[in-house]
Amino acid sequence: MRVLDRKVLRDLWRMRINVFAIVLVLGCGVAILVMAVGMRGSLERTRLNYYAVYKMADLAVSLVRAPANIANALAAVPGVSAVETRVTGLALLDLPGVKEPASAHLVSLPRIGRPRVNDLSLAQGRWPDPDRADEVLVNEALATANGFQLGEELAATLHGQRHTLRIVGIANSPEFVFVTAPGEIFPQQDRFGVIWMGEEALARAYDLEGAFNNAVFRLSPEVDSVKIKRAIDVALAPYGSAGAYDRDRMPSDRFLTEELGQLATMAAFLPTFFIVIAAFLVNISLTRIIAAERSNIGLLKAFGYSDRAVATHYAKGALLMAAGAAALGSVAGWLLGRMMASVYQEYYRFPRLEFEASAGVYAGALGIAVACAVAGSLTAVIAAVRLAPAAALAPPPPTSFGSNSAMLRSFSSHLDAKSRIILRRIVRFPRRSATTVIGISLAIAVLVLAGTFPAVMERLMHVNFTEANRQDVSLSFVDAREMSVVHGVMNLPGVILVEPGRADRVILHHAGKSVEETLIGLLPDARLSRLVDARLEVIHPPAAGIALARALAEKLDASPGDLLEIEQTRGRRLITHARVATIVDPMVGASAYMEIDALARLMREPGLITGVNVRLDAAQYDRFNAAIKEAPALAGASFINLAERSMRENFDRGVGVMNFIYLSFASVMAGGVAFSAARITLAEQERDLATLRVLGFTRLEVSYVLVGELAALGLLAVVPGVIAGTLIGEWLMKLFSNDLYSFPYVFNAAGYAVAIGFALGCVAAAAMLVRTGVDRLDMVGVLKARD
Amino acid sequence: MQVTEHSGNPTGDLTYALRKVCKRYGDGTAAVHALRDVDLEVKPAEMLVLLGPSGSGKSTLLNIMGGLDRATSGEVWFGNQNLSSMNDDALTQYRRKRVGFIFQFYNLIPSLTARENVELVNEIADDPLPAAEALELVGLGGRLDHFPAQLSGGEQQRVAVARAIAKRPAIMMCDEPTGALDVRTGVRVLEALVEVNQRFGSTLLLVTHNADVARLGDRVVRFLDGGIRSIESNSRRAAPSDLEW
Repeated sequence: MRVLDRKVLRDLWRMRINVFAIVLVLGCGVAILVMAVGMRGSLERTRLNYYAVYKMADLAVSLVRAPANIANALAAVPGVSAVETRVTGLALLDLPGVKEPASAHLVSLPRIGRPRVNDLSLAQGRWPDPDRADEVLVNEALATANGFQLGEELAATLHGQRHTLRIVGIANSPEFVFVTAPGEIFPQQDRFGVIWMGEEALARAYDLEGAFNNAVFRLSPEVDSVKIKRAIDVALAPYGSAGAYDRDRMPSDRFLTEELGQLATMAAFLPTFFIVIAAFLVNISLTRIIAAERSNIGLLKAFGYSDRAVATHYAKGALLMAAGAAALGSVAGWLLGRMMASVYQEYYRFPRLEFEASAGVYAGALGIAVACAVAGSLTAVIAAVRLAPAAALAPPPPTSFGSNSAMLRSFSSHLDAKSRIILRRIVRFPRRSATTVIGISLAIAVLVLAGTFPAVMERLMHVNFTEANRQDVSLSFVDAREMSVVHGVMNLPGVILVEPGRADRVILHHAGKSVEETLIGLLPDARLSRLVDARLEVIHPPAAGIALARALAEKLDASPGDLLEIEQTRGRRLITHARVATIVDPMVGASAYMEIDALARLMREPGLITGVNVRLDAAQYDRFNAAIKEAPALAGASFINLAERSMRENFDRGVGVMNFIYLSFASVMAGGVAFSAARITLAEQERDLATLRVLGFTRLEVSYVLVGELAALGLLAVVPGVIAGTLIGEWLMKLFSNDLYSFPYVFNAAGYAVAIGFALGCVAAAAMLVRTGVDRLDMVGVLKARD
Repeated sequence: MQVTEHSGNPTGDLTYALRKVCKRYGDGTAAVHALRDVDLEVKPAEMLVLLGPSGSGKSTLLNIMGGLDRATSGEVWFGNQNLSSMNDDALTQYRRKRVGFIFQFYNLIPSLTARENVELVNEIADDPLPAAEALELVGLGGRLDHFPAQLSGGEQQRVAVARAIAKRPAIMMCDEPTGALDVRTGVRVLEALVEVNQRFGSTLLLVTHNADVARLGDRVVRFLDGGIRSIESNSRRAAPSDLEW
């Protein structure tokens, strides 16, 4: 090894604490990058692969009833490579040991062979015997959430009749990677599932023997899906078809796309943010470390080393740190990625979700780490190399503190000499002070962000479960019912208040754009289910016309006064029109809204409702549940308390884990910035501080000069940090808002206090740690050496 | 202030009394003896020059007498206080109240002006000379608001002298005060020191390796290899302007 290279290693060892801080912070940035980018790639790859291997449908269609032989006509449509006709329906489940009825989506399995479209991957057990009507498969999420064992029996109400089903296998399907009950926004894995059973048994239960009510299609590569949909619609028109639709309208895929979009946002934004902070910190540290190497640089040049050789020598140190950070960050990112993958696996039911970052991700991580380190050291190395050897060897001239503004002069005249030292140093080195301030404020900003997410989720839950949905249960019916059903529900045990509800799944068309959404009927002066905006004000339905959520209006390019075409997706596939009356900003959901009676009239079903919202007497909760488990006309029952509980659990496990990771990293960064700044400040001031000690200043007084500078910079960082955190937070919330939620920015005073307190605590801890250096100041040595 | 009293007051009328002072760095075979069994007495208002080649122990002794370092063994009496048995805080107070330091490399605080560098010390002194007056004394009355970077080496050293004298110290410790200066500026600095010694009656300990400078002192203590080789009295103190080096 060359002597100069040995010097690189020894220098790194000598500055090991600073080196460690740099590697740690840069490593955090790299880890977040590897995790976020790798996770996004892993999910996308896994989805693609899963869809291909298990034949995810390209098109789907629901209809009322078509004879089985129509399948041949569908298979003959040019461009269709496979078709699977099925019987599907909804059922209420009476789960053992669970008071409330759960529900499930039922899907038939072909009598012979596996499904040609939307195939299943069997996680446990075996396929049902086609000759055994009671044998079923259940989806893995439902089975896991309820602890189902193979051979266990379930009581289910299918089409009004009670059946006993026996679980013989547990499966996953690309059709149900993400499972939510129809009309529900939040998944409740324990309360809504998928049950696959033999075609004949299911057809018998739904009076669809020799017929089907659902078909899914795989298309040949590169065909025109519009033409094919048209051909399918023509073939199925006589059988009550609701119209063929593409994959992007299938609920699971739609949700997955939304989630991947959010992940993409995070993958782009968060690593960038962390890397920028890391680059900043590396710059602060390296610039100051290399500045301290000035005389060594002069010495090397005096010996005859070229500028290039000297620059390379210092670049090597930076590169070694970058390599260390890349290695540390890659390993940490890989471990975190695996952890995240196992968290995601609970939500996204892929047969196997493995975290796998491509070589490109790791190479990119190394590249970014190197770029950070090189950029961080470049200016300092160039400045040092440019000096003539004699100038570099000589001590730098005392720093000039000449030109202070009049304002500063008058201000500093009120200070004691020690405070003046602090003030002048901060003002004299504006870049250096600014980098420290920016570093600490970025740390505060990250901490503010990390504190904002839980507050936003808390607000969202509060609005949804306390302000908007004040019912205890929402019941939805299989078919639209007369308003008189309200009286029937009122007679159920424990019911205190019932309000009618109506929701229609429709496709809205405007200006050449089409969006499938739910058109929700709102009851004027509703006491239970209400639409609420971010300011917690109730949004009332317009007297006439339709109200559009802002996100939906933007998608449709529609403004008040515009005429929308509204296409029903079930039953008669009615096409009708309504004018946009107003644009609204509900906090949860981005649907279209009308007054409930007006909606029923628009759908040519005056007086009919699709569900009810119910307030219950808590004492009669069990009796109410026992009663509705037997109710034939119910398609589902959604319990607010359970929805809130499962959302909270989801949050704690999903977003919570993620947030914890970011919070930890933000803490490391805050500590790293503070500690580096503190150590370097001590190194720079060592001589002055020792002189003060010699002159008879006590340790406490000398510590004040050191700690005071850090404290002042820390305090200066508070306001910009809070502002940056708030602005980025607001921007991120806009970015994250999607069809399901509009995230308000929540000013969370406690979160801000924690962020500021923690960052300043890090500064204080770092200052205290470094302050011990004052006790070890070499008073004798400092007098012998020049600056 | 923590004071170690001694009933017998070993110094009598002396400012310092040193008994068998040793300073050793390291242990065993690696031990380096910087000072061996040094005995020395210093009278009030005396100007004592410590002369010797580098490494002879003169600065080590000055540091010990200035409360910057501790003897490995032996006693260092300042009046009735034994510096050898003082803790860190007491030594800090000793430096703060009694000693003015002047170093070869000035050791000014670069972020403070000449006046402020003096005021820095005045803030912790009991009855200090106003900063402007102290600077006037060393001939810098016109450069009060200049920062160190705006002053020449000699001017910087005179600021250091002003800083040392402003607290009216009992003792002035000067370690090679002219080491980094040319003759002309060196003479001005020495004149300032002599002026302080005569005007305030401060005891002045001056470390130098320059035999010519030694002619300034009342007595000259010659060091060699960590010990005192000789102590000579000058019958007549030379004036700084007579010196050459």
